[in-house]
Amino acid sequence: MRLLDKRRSNLGLALVAAMVVLPFVPLVLWTFAGEWRFPDLLPTEWSLRGVRYLLEPGGKVLSATLTSLLIGVSVALASIVVGLPAGMALGGYEWRFKGVVIFFILLPILVPPLASTMGIHLTFIRLGLADTVFGVFLVHLVPTVPYTAVILTSVFAERTGELEEAARTLGANPWQAFLHVTLPEVAPGVAVAGLFAFLISWGQYILTLLIGGGNVVTLPMLLFSAASGNDPVHTSALALVFALPAILALVVALRFLKPGERGGGRGFLGLGKVS
Amino acid sequence: MGGRIKIFLLLTPASLVVGVLFAGGLVSALVQSLGYMPAIGQTTVNLDAYRKVLTDGDFLSSLFLTLYVAGASTGISTVLAVLAALALRKSSGRVSAVVFQLPITIPHLVAAVGIALVVSQTGLGARGAAALGLIGQPSDFPALLYDKYSIGIILTYVWKETPFIALVVLASLRGVAAELEDVARTLGAGAWQRFWYVVFPVISPGIVAASLIVFAFTFGAFEVPYLLGKTYPTILPVTAYNEYRGIELTSRPIAMAINILISLVTAAFAAAYLRIAKDLGRG
Amino acid sequence: MSARLELRGLSHSYARGDEPALSDLSLDVEPGELVALLGPSGCGKTTALKIVAGLLRPTAGDVLVNGHSVVGVPPEKREAAMVFQKSLLFPHMSVEANVSFGLRMRGVSREESTKKMEEALRRVRMEGLADRKPDELSGGQQQRVALARALVTGPRLLLLDEPLSALDANLREEMRELIKRLQREGGYTTVFVTHDQEEAVVLADRIALIFDGSLQMYDRPQAFYDRPVSRAAARFFGATNFIGGHAENGCVKTGLGELKLQSPTRPGEVTLTIRPEAVRIEGGENSFPARVASATFLGTQVHYTLEAHDTSLRAALPPHVRLAVGDEIMARLPAESLWALKS
Repeated sequence: MRLLDKRRSNLGLALVAAMVVLPFVPLVLWTFAGEWRFPDLLPTEWSLRGVRYLLEPGGKVLSATLTSLLIGVSVALASIVVGLPAGMALGGYEWRFKGVVIFFILLPILVPPLASTMGIHLTFIRLGLADTVFGVFLVHLVPTVPYTAVILTSVFAERTGELEEAARTLGANPWQAFLHVTLPEVAPGVAVAGLFAFLISWGQYILTLLIGGGNVVTLPMLLFSAASGNDPVHTSALALVFALPAILALVVALRFLKPGERGGGRGFLGLGKVS
Repeated sequence: MGGRIKIFLLLTPASLVVGVLFAGGLVSALVQSLGYMPAIGQTTVNLDAYRKVLTDGDFLSSLFLTLYVAGASTGISTVLAVLAALALRKSSGRVSAVVFQLPITIPHLVAAVGIALVVSQTGLGARGAAALGLIGQPSDFPALLYDKYSIGIILTYVWKETPFIALVVLASLRGVAAELEDVARTLGAGAWQRFWYVVFPVISPGIVAASLIVFAFTFGAFEVPYLLGKTYPTILPVTAYNEYRGIELTSRPIAMAINILISLVTAAFAAAYLRIAKDLGRG
Repeated sequence: MSARLELRGLSHSYARGDEPALSDLSLDVEPGELVALLGPSGCGKTTALKIVAGLLRPTAGDVLVNGHSVVGVPPEKREAAMVFQKSLLFPHMSVEANVSFGLRMRGVSREESTKKMEEALRRVRMEGLADRKPDELSGGQQQRVALARALVTGPRLLLLDEPLSALDANLREEMRELIKRLQREGGYTTVFVTHDQEEAVVLADRIALIFDGSLQMYDRPQAFYDRPVSRAAARFFGATNFIGGHAENGCVKTGLGELKLQSPTRPGEVTLTIRPEAVRIEGGENSFPARVASATFLGTQVHYTLEAHDTSLRAALPPHVRLAVGDEIMARLPAESLWALKS
C-alpha cells in the first residue's frame, strides 16, 4: 500500500515537473537553433546567432538589460525604504483603522496599475516625467510597494519586541536598538521583499510602455517587439535572458531559506502575483 | 499619543506612494472619464463616456471575452491545483516547493512566448503530431493562438497560476488538515469520508481566497492578451489601451471609463478576498 | 468491549540510518487497565502510541489486540480512539457534529447518534453547549469535547497523547479526575502518554518508563519508589539517595556503617537506594550519627541534607520535625525501605 502511494506520488511529481519545464524546451532549442524547419523535432543545424545577438557590444539588448537592471534595483531599494516603516506600523502594533489601511495598501496588488497609470499619464506629461527613466521608476513603485509592505508586515507581526526590550534594559536607546537588534533580525525578510520588488519591476511591460513612451527601452519591451516579429531565435534568446533573474532568485532563495518559509501559506497573501 | 503619531509617521511614505501615484491616478482617470479635460478646454462634466461604453456592442463583447478568459483560467487552474496538491502532499516539501515556485517567479511574457512556441501551428506540439503521423502540414494543426477561444492566453494563465493556488492548498493540506485527518481516521472515517467531511471544508477558504486573487488578476492583466490575443474582440485592458491611443477627442474619456469599470470589478474582488483572508486568520 | 493490548518487540526509525525512535518495546495491557507511557520528551512514547493507533507503521514488531495482529489494519478500522495534546476539534463543525462524527462515519442513525452524543456530553459535563463552535470554547472545554468525541464510539482502546500538557495547572487536576472517572466507569483499555511523573502516578494502574525508545521498567506506581530498577529510573521520580557498598552475609558494608537489608542480596559491589521520605531521625537498626548541613522549606515538607562519614544524604520530613542547620542527630535507614539496585 505504501509503496503504491510512493510510486503514485513520484509519477504525479514527474508529470507536474514536465508541465513546468515544457515552455522552456522550445525556448532553449530555438536560442541555439541555426536551421529548424517544420516538421523536424530538433534543429538540423545549431548556431550561436542568438547568443551573439544578445551580446552585441553597444547593441540594443545590452542597453535594455542595463536599463531594466537600473530601474529594478532602484525600485527594489526604494520600495524597501517605503515598505519597511509601513510593515513596522502594520505588523508591530494594533490600532483602530488598521483594516482600512491594509485594504488601501493592498489595492494596487489586485486592481491593475494600468488604470491608475493611464490616469496619471497626463499629469506626468505636464510635470515632464513622461518619457523619462525617473518617471518609469515612479510608476513601478505602485505595484511593488504594496508587496514589500505586506511581506514586511508579516515579518514584523512575528516579532514580539522582546529582544529590543532586552537591549533597552542594557542601555541602548531606541535608535540603537533598531540598528543593532531589529535590522539584523529582519534582514532576511527585507531581502525577500527586495527580491520580490525587483522581480516585479523587472517584469513590467505596460507601465513602462505607457510612461516610457518608447523612449525608455527595457528588456520586456524588446522581447515584446521580437515576439511580434518573425525571428524565433531572437525571441527565444531574449526570453531566456528575461527569465534569468527569476531563475537565479529561485536558486538563491532555496539555498538560503528553509523550505517552509518560502512556500508557506503564512505569507500567501503576497505570494504569487510577482510577474 | 506618541504612539499614534509614530504609527502615522511610519505609514506616511507608503501612503504617499499609494495615495498619490495610485489613488491619485485613479481619481484622475475618474475625472477624465467624466469628460473633464481642461487642457483641451472641456470643463463640463458628463456621463457620455459611460453611456457610450455601456451601450456599445464592442464593449460588451470585450467584457464577455474578459469574463470568459478570467473565468476559464481561474476555474481550470483551481481544479488542476487542488488535484496536484492532493497528489503531491506526500512528496518531500523541498521538491514540490521548487517545482511549483518556478512558474510563479517567471515573467508572464516568457511563459507566453514559450507556450506560443509549443502550441503554435509550427510549434513543438504540431511537430510532435507530425512525427506521430497525425498531421501533414502546419495548417492541419488547430489554431490555438489568436483564436476566438483564446486558448493560448488561457494556457499561459493556467501554467502560471496553477502552481500559485497549488502552493496555497499544499500549505493548508500539510498543516491543520493533516492533523485533523489523523483524528478523523481514529474515529473511523474512510478515505472519501475524510476528504469530504474534513479535508475539503478545511482547505476551502484557502482555495476560494487564492481563486479570487487569480480571477482579479487575470481580469485586469494586459501583457499576455496583448501578445497572444485576437485583434477583435480584445479583452478590456487592451480595449482601454487601444482607446487611449485613439486620436479622437472622445477616445480618452472612453478609455478612462473602461479603466474605472475594470477597477471597480477588481476592487470588489479585493474586498471579497480580504473578507475571507480575515476569517482564515481567525481559524 | 475493552480489549487486551500487546506490544511485541516494537521498533521504529523515522528514516533509514536514523537513531531509532523505539527499540524493541514489549508490554501487555490487560482489558480495562490504564497504562501510562512515561518518559522525557522525545523518548518515543508518542511514536509508540501512534503505532498502536495505526497512524504509523512500525519498522519492526507487532501490535496485537485480543490476540490478533493489527499492524496491517488501517486506523479507521481499529476502533482505537485517540485524544491529542491539541484538542483538534473540527473547526468547521459544531460541538454536536464533532462528537457524533465517529458515529456518523459508521452509519449510525441520526436518532441513535443524537442520543449517544447527548449522553457523552453529559458525562464530560458539557451538556447545553452542543451548538457551540470550537473557537467559542476554552482550552479545557475543548479537551472535554475531544474526550466525548473519542468515547462516544465505545472504542476498544482509548489512547491519550499528553492531553493535559496544554492546560493550566488547576485545570489539569480537574481533567485528571474526569479522565480517571470516565475510564473506570467505561472500563476502557487505556494507554496514556505523559512526561509528568506525578500525572502518571495519579492515573495509572501500571507505568511503563521509557528512555530513548527502550522500556526501562514496567510496574505499579509504588514500585518505582520502592524498588526502582536503575539509578536513572529512580532519579526520574525525584532526587533520591544512592549509597555504594559491598554486600556479604546479608549485610552491606557502606561508608555509613553496616546496613541490614530486608531480603538478602547477592554478595559483591552493590548500590543501595532509599527515598528521602523514608529516612528517619531516630536510633535503632541501621542508624548512625549525622549532622544537618542544610534545610529547605518546601511548604508541605522540609528537605534536609544530612552529612555522615563523608556521605551526603537527602531527607524529606514533615515541617513539625524541626531540625536546625548544625544539629547533631541520629539518622536511621529502615531496612524495609532500602533497595539494592541491579547493577
